[in-house]
Amino acid sequence: MTAHWSPVGAKAPSETPGPPAGQNLLELRDIRAAYDGIDVLYGVDLAVPRGSVVALLGPNGAGKTTTLRVASGLHTPSGGDVLVAGRRINGARPEELARSGMCLVPEGRGIFPNLSVRENLRMMTYSGRSLHEVEEFAFQRFPRLRDRRSQLAGTLSGGEQQMLAMARGLATKPALLLLDELSMGLAPIIVEELYGIVAQIAQDGVSILVVEQFARTVLGVADYAAIMVHGRIAKVGRPNELEAELSTAYLGA
Amino acid sequence: MIESQDRVEQFQREIADMKLRNPATSRDRIWLGIGIALLIAGVVLAVIAYPMSHSTTNPLQQNDAITLALAGIVSAVVGAALFLRYSIASFLRFWLARLIYEQKAQTDRLLEAAGGDHKPPS
Repeated sequence: MTAHWSPVGAKAPSETPGPPAGQNLLELRDIRAAYDGIDVLYGVDLAVPRGSVVALLGPNGAGKTTTLRVASGLHTPSGGDVLVAGRRINGARPEELARSGMCLVPEGRGIFPNLSVRENLRMMTYSGRSLHEVEEFAFQRFPRLRDRRSQLAGTLSGGEQQMLAMARGLATKPALLLLDELSMGLAPIIVEELYGIVAQIAQDGVSILVVEQFARTVLGVADYAAIMVHGRIAKVGRPNELEAELSTAYLGA
Repeated sequence: MIESQDRVEQFQREIADMKLRNPATSRDRIWLGIGIALLIAGVVLAVIAYPMSHSTTNPLQQNDAITLALAGIVSAVVGAALFLRYSIASFLRFWLARLIYEQKAQTDRLLEAAGGDHKPPS
């Protein structure tokens, strides 16, 4: 059931063409994870090649968020290896990974609702960039936030909150961006707008792993996709190869 | 694009230079256990030292009892420090996360009470 996959085509190179081996910025090998002794991941293999967008899709409870938590160092796997830029980083502290250039935009956005937009952006100056630089970067990418800079983040619309969360993440100039449920609670038109921005970010050379429950929009920007079901990678490949598989995966047929 | 390539190369360098500790969540529990043991041992030593010093008029034996009591105090202080480091710290992290969640929930409640006019549909 478990698919050992790399975009380079570890099992079927001819079927999944991609960048040469050794260019994976993030690689998960046979990852197992549990919460309080209850297993949720049963040997996940996944790779994010340098400069590409990988979509991790699957129904609610499949283990997608846990996979992101393991990749970002927030959850210690009970087995397997997490490799970043070719180095095994099991046990690395999430703050160290974040400082190096791995950025997680969590489910639920992770902004400070009682701080203003500007104060939320100020929190990202830990990376050594000045508030002016962070603001310029954020407002250039998300012009709508400029008009809202004095507004409390909790009073922004869902889409604007997601933009703020992404702006905060991007302000650190990440090399590897992990996005969790970008579309959660948002109208389809806002989701399309956000994924348009994700595509721009990818064009700038940032490697992206995006977890999504609602797949159609993300498949439009992803270079590779994987479908996850019950803590395992069920199917991997190019987005156009997976579209037909999605209904089966979600409906459990 | 050149800038992003530099960024990725810098990322790779920093990951390569990163000092890693072994993933040892159980180590925290061991230190917590050591902390509790030292704390209890400290109290026990102090309790033993008290009757020991009062049961003799020999100053040398009383000095031994005082030394034992001081060792008990040191043991209790170190044990308490370890206990705080490995139990309360994790609780405080949880408490902070809870506080942020409560603030978010409170903001949502206030917006709802205000009629939701401030929150455009999205």
